[in-house]
Amino acid sequence: MDYEQIDISGDVGIRAWGRDCAEAWANAGIGMFSLVTDLSKIGNNRLVEIAIKADSSEGLLVRYLNELIFHLDTYNFIGNRIDIVAFSEDSLRAFVYGAEFDPSLHEQRLLLKAATYHNIRIAKMAEQCVVEVIFDI
Amino acid sequence: MQRNVFWEIIMSLEKIRRIDDNRLEVPNDYKPGMRTNGIIFADAVLEKGLEPSCIEQVANVAILPGIVGSSLAMPDIHTGYGFPIGGVAAFDLDEGIISPGGVGYDINCGVRLLRSNLKRSEVSPKIGELIDALYNAIPAGVGSKGRIRLGPADEKKVLIKGARWAIEEGYGTAADLDKTESGGCIEGADPSLISDKAYERGRAQQGTLGSGNHFIEVQYIDEIYDDAVANAIGLFKDHVTVMIHTGSRGFGHQVCTDFLEVMAGALKKYNIALPDKELACAPFKSKEAQAYLAAMRAAANYAWANRQCLMHWTREAFISFFRISPGQLGMGLVYDVAHNIAKVEEHVIDGRKRKLVVHRKGATRAFPPGHPELPEIYRNLGQPVIIPGDMGRASFILVGTEKGKLETFSSACHGAGRILSRHEAIRRAKGRAIRRELEDKGIFVRSAGREILAEEMPEAYKDVTNVVDVVHNAGIALKVARLRPMGVVKG
Repeated sequence: MDYEQIDISGDVGIRAWGRDCAEAWANAGIGMFSLVTDLSKIGNNRLVEIAIKADSSEGLLVRYLNELIFHLDTYNFIGNRIDIVAFSEDSLRAFVYGAEFDPSLHEQRLLLKAATYHNIRIAKMAEQCVVEVIFDI
Repeated sequence: MQRNVFWEIIMSLEKIRRIDDNRLEVPNDYKPGMRTNGIIFADAVLEKGLEPSCIEQVANVAILPGIVGSSLAMPDIHTGYGFPIGGVAAFDLDEGIISPGGVGYDINCGVRLLRSNLKRSEVSPKIGELIDALYNAIPAGVGSKGRIRLGPADEKKVLIKGARWAIEEGYGTAADLDKTESGGCIEGADPSLISDKAYERGRAQQGTLGSGNHFIEVQYIDEIYDDAVANAIGLFKDHVTVMIHTGSRGFGHQVCTDFLEVMAGALKKYNIALPDKELACAPFKSKEAQAYLAAMRAAANYAWANRQCLMHWTREAFISFFRISPGQLGMGLVYDVAHNIAKVEEHVIDGRKRKLVVHRKGATRAFPPGHPELPEIYRNLGQPVIIPGDMGRASFILVGTEKGKLETFSSACHGAGRILSRHEAIRRAKGRAIRRELEDKGIFVRSAGREILAEEMPEAYKDVTNVVDVVHNAGIALKVARLRPMGVVKG
């Protein structure tokens, strides 16, 4: 698994890693969706494109995840594959593949309010990148 | 417990001082930059459970510019983002700030209490079916669709009129507004400051319960502490009540997310040095602060409309289930309170009346007897304060006091406060059938999510009786009645 849940007080977090930051961030997005439902039951017939800018890497990570939460909360969109096609210190473009969440068919796990800056971590090493984000639930 | 965690706790507790049985002081030299001290309402039992991180947060709030009085924390205090949950802080309008972290993501998360003529003995034999009926009537849970769809013009009306919009649409009666904090609608909401994203998120969520720690609970009154107040507000022993706990849903969450970004940008502009990024704020009189205030008010109004709609459907469900008339049911609103909000209020400081912006995050307003904002029927009594506990034990009704006005800007606790993390709660619940344990106690639960019961089990929370006793013994609000759960609907 390229991500895991982090336990914190009444909320929840995701730690994700990858060979580079783009991969780690993609895995963070998938990890986030896994908090909401069982991704193995989610198909692949929808596509959402995310294109954002921010003033810092942390700001970018939080904004990216909050974009995903927006699509989730507004359109019940769940992603199970994320391709980050452009990535820099302050901008990102991603294609998110997934399907519509149906509470009558899919497991209801957590309701995500937002991705927060709380204890946020981004670590870039030679061979890998690790990120941690806490979500308000 | 790990050794370093143990010593972290000891070292932070060493620096705080007990004022009396119910109050601790975080001295103004606890950390550099504090402009005032902190006061945590806690007895010796609750003191043992204080996390160093939440003491740190009380101290951090004391660093913010323009703070008036102490950085306060109620006995249900636990660690939040920036401000502790259970935190109360008031700021001068000229010198002070406003901070979205001092309100929370769920703007106007709050609770309302309904009383009824039904007795426990009438409801108890049918509680399982009643809870099923409520579960079917109330949209709840992750990804659930509400019964209401708001077009753009309607959504703007919700933001400006709050619960009044709901009444105009037929969800309840005008008499309900009197018994709602701020009449269910704060003036000064500005729909033009709301992002498209927030509008879109809010379009289909009006009249939905949500998930997490939101719930509708059917209860009975098992103890009256103040006969006069209880009588006057319509609470009688063994009568059945309903509590509805929810907030501004995705609409409010998006408003908070949007304005945290705005505030982060404003920090450099206003040269505010913060010990914690999550305390992002702006001077109250600044454009950014006034924009947040107007947007926060819109979200607060969304939440009041939401609780009004849910109350209406709850009443309908009871009428239909018991086949009685509204008059026979007598399901009246006792009061509705916000516990995540910032309010501009007049308070007397050193003998002088001042307008302050009071942040209450996981804290409830508790106006004293005589306050002009109270409905006439409550004016001599004080404001009812609704305190939901956990679903296994008890909830309480309190009433505001003069002492609270002087000490806490008329604020009290909001609930029990978590002590276990989700994983810890789930771990402890393994092998146990929480639903069955509750049923054995006579409490029926229907929940949309599967693990929500383990996460929300009673032991995950502080004992609300302990929390409420500290509030009562400190005199900042006084106990009126205790309510026991009969059945719960959760998202």
